[in-house]
Amino acid sequence: MLDKNVLPASIATNRFGLGARPGDIEAAAKDPQGWVLAQLQTPEFSPGLPDLEAAWKLLVQDRQQRMAARQNRAVIKAPVTASMAAAPKSAATPASTTTSASTPTTTSMPPAIKAAAPAAGEDPLKSLHFELLQDGLVRSIAAEHSFSWRLLDFFSNHFSVSANGKVLQVLAPLLERDAIAPNLLGSFEEMLLAVSRHPAMLLYLNNERSFGPDSRLGRNRKLGLNENLGREILELHSLGVEGGYTQADVRELAMALSGWSVARLNGQEKPGFVFRAGGHQPGARLLLGKRYPEAGEAQAEHMLRDLARHPATARHVSFKLGQYVVSDSPPVELVDAMTARWLATGGDLREVVTVLVRSQSAWQQPQQKFKTPREFVVSFCRACKFRHLPPRLLLNSLTGMGQRPFAAGSPAGFSALASGWDGADALLDRVDWVARLAGRIIGEPVALGVTALGPQLTPPTRRAVMRAESREQAMVLLFMSPEFLRR
Amino acid sequence: MQRRELLRMMGAGLLLWQTPMVRAGQPRRPKLVWVLLRGGMDSLHAVIPGFDDHLVRHRPGLVDSQLMTQRPLARGFALHPALEGLYAWYQRGQLLPIVAVASEQRSRSHFKAQDILESGVYPVDHDSGWLNRALAAHQGQGLALAHSVPISLRGAPLGTTWYPSQFPNAEDDTYTRLLALYQDEPLLSARLEEALATREQLQGAVANPRQRSFADLAAACGSLMGQPDGPDCAMLEMGGWDTHNNQASRLSRRFAQLDAGLVRLRQHLAASWEQTAVIVATEFGRTVAENGTGGSDHGTGTALLLAGGAVQGGRVLGEWPGLGHSDLFEGRDLMPTSSMQAWIGAVLGQHWGLSAAQLQEVFPGVQPAATRLLRPTLNLKPDQQSRRRL
Repeated sequence: MLDKNVLPASIATNRFGLGARPGDIEAAAKDPQGWVLAQLQTPEFSPGLPDLEAAWKLLVQDRQQRMAARQNRAVIKAPVTASMAAAPKSAATPASTTTSASTPTTTSMPPAIKAAAPAAGEDPLKSLHFELLQDGLVRSIAAEHSFSWRLLDFFSNHFSVSANGKVLQVLAPLLERDAIAPNLLGSFEEMLLAVSRHPAMLLYLNNERSFGPDSRLGRNRKLGLNENLGREILELHSLGVEGGYTQADVRELAMALSGWSVARLNGQEKPGFVFRAGGHQPGARLLLGKRYPEAGEAQAEHMLRDLARHPATARHVSFKLGQYVVSDSPPVELVDAMTARWLATGGDLREVVTVLVRSQSAWQQPQQKFKTPREFVVSFCRACKFRHLPPRLLLNSLTGMGQRPFAAGSPAGFSALASGWDGADALLDRVDWVARLAGRIIGEPVALGVTALGPQLTPPTRRAVMRAESREQAMVLLFMSPEFLRR
Repeated sequence: MQRRELLRMMGAGLLLWQTPMVRAGQPRRPKLVWVLLRGGMDSLHAVIPGFDDHLVRHRPGLVDSQLMTQRPLARGFALHPALEGLYAWYQRGQLLPIVAVASEQRSRSHFKAQDILESGVYPVDHDSGWLNRALAAHQGQGLALAHSVPISLRGAPLGTTWYPSQFPNAEDDTYTRLLALYQDEPLLSARLEEALATREQLQGAVANPRQRSFADLAAACGSLMGQPDGPDCAMLEMGGWDTHNNQASRLSRRFAQLDAGLVRLRQHLAASWEQTAVIVATEFGRTVAENGTGGSDHGTGTALLLAGGAVQGGRVLGEWPGLGHSDLFEGRDLMPTSSMQAWIGAVLGQHWGLSAAQLQEVFPGVQPAATRLLRPTLNLKPDQQSRRRL
């Protein structure tokens, strides 16, 4: 009865969704397109985890403890200078970390991670970091509406921040919860604003201490401008590197953003975003040929709102989205249609994504996307019903494969292209990873293949799986088959 | 069936470092190591123009007299104090800094500038890297210490990747069956074969096959290249150079790590070091003036470091443009006075004996620098030519 829908259903669950769980393909076969569209629901994280305010409290506590410890050491070592050491000179500095950085490395070279898993009795910030990372991963494995989780992964990577250092290890995972998820199916404009004002982004791209050269802080305390956030907003988050902006535009946006800062970790300021008027570069600015009168904090906001609706932004983000979901070289007509919808709706993401889902070109066979390590691990766990695999094992797996969450090490995020992940060594790593877990998989291999891949399971794979010399080997052959490596 | 036999049967040994029998008895082949510092290393903080009075005015918070005098180089430059091993090489004539260089095409975007530097053609071809084209001309083999093939080595299948694995190996028979399953998948089967052959090659060659700091990777790189049939070139990458803030302390640490890594590379290359040229490059330099957060922003002109036993070092090359305001590029960056690709092209010509026509394939439209960069005695050109005729 629904035979003609079975292939589209496996595409719905694997290309759009994060991978078919047992029963998903049958459910999607009734109306594959409708099944995907019904998945457009805001992703929900575990409710019990700390939010920004609670995380901030931990950061303030941690800072106080470290300062107290430093004072104690100072008292013991050098009683004469104890009063000097006790003067909280660093209380005037915003919540910055010396390790906040924007360091491009390739996706193939993950930053060295000292401890892949936390030890017992470790500090509460590190525990929170792991809890947040694990929650995102576990939720996407269990997700009913996994297409929305795919979209969340996309925008989280579009606005990539790396969890470097004490502060960013807890703030980075909050960016996707606080700024991205709530706007995922709303307007891109609001998402861009929320992200640009989020302390994780401000710290990661060093804007918290970027002050105008002619501002009060700039003149009196010799603090100055930092172009990093302004540049990456234009290059990565909005227009794109070919979006037609100049070095002068970078500087103008950075000037407007000067003063967009982060609360101090002294417990006195309200957590999160702070506008430091004394650090804002005074005067009108000229961005992409348009004049923006002095408006304090709102000057940059006006610029960001215009950038979000700019045709170059519409095309840049539509292209990346098509590239993420459908093909490394997305069909031109698909990108055109998404761009047009973006411009017609002022960047309504639900509308733009709906165009993507309704486009015939997004449903073509053969499979054109090579799964990233995260996609591979998540789809593997969904197919195997691995809900209770130790989350730390999953995180370690992603670290080993070069895609630990919030560790892209570059504001450009992880590669979404096959060339970033299909290297010789990466492939062999996957074989070994599946082999290590194969013994834990419950079920009959061929049946598992059918529930995970439906008609995409090819006869050669089926034969190889059936002829395998052990169940474990059968599992490796199934999950390393070309059709499971791609979607 | 044992994997070793399988690989022999499938000819995977040939796929990897080709032609061991051809090379037997030949003198050691000239080795090239390409080190890409991603993030925009601040060359003014590495090869410090202490003689230029404008420097202190632009960077009062970044330079001090110790930085400018501790490790003096020719022409009044100084090497950053943390580059201790490199300085020893300089004194032995094995380090050659080249100042005020930039790619032929410029961008202040990290990613675009890195792509330009790796591909070596413009517009950028993400599927063809300069090192791969040079290897094709040289008829050599390459290795990237990375999970996946970086752009520099993309193109004809002349190289493979290796990166420390965290996972225990699967059984040999499983690999065999997977290769059979991939028979209609040229890319997957070729990649899996390459990876298995590399692993085979590595048995015992790398002391700590699970460690992945830059120094560990550099050491592994040296071990692999130093083997009798090791690759002709390798690519190493190191991030962490985008110093928008706290530059002085961050770069001190970074330089020390880079230095330690290159020293270990040398140790593990052992005798091959004498035939080795290392090229250390970054995608762009940084603003001449320090920014408001004790760092520097994206700029243009930068420096290239050549090192190795094959290099004729102990001097500083590159025309110095000056740091006065009117000397700067767009009023903010170090003005490039020569092309990075012209210098790299010269290395390829002198080290691997690539002809002018071959160099046009590697860097189209670029005239290689005429300066001698490598020691003439190590030019193995005649041997290479006879080998190539085989």
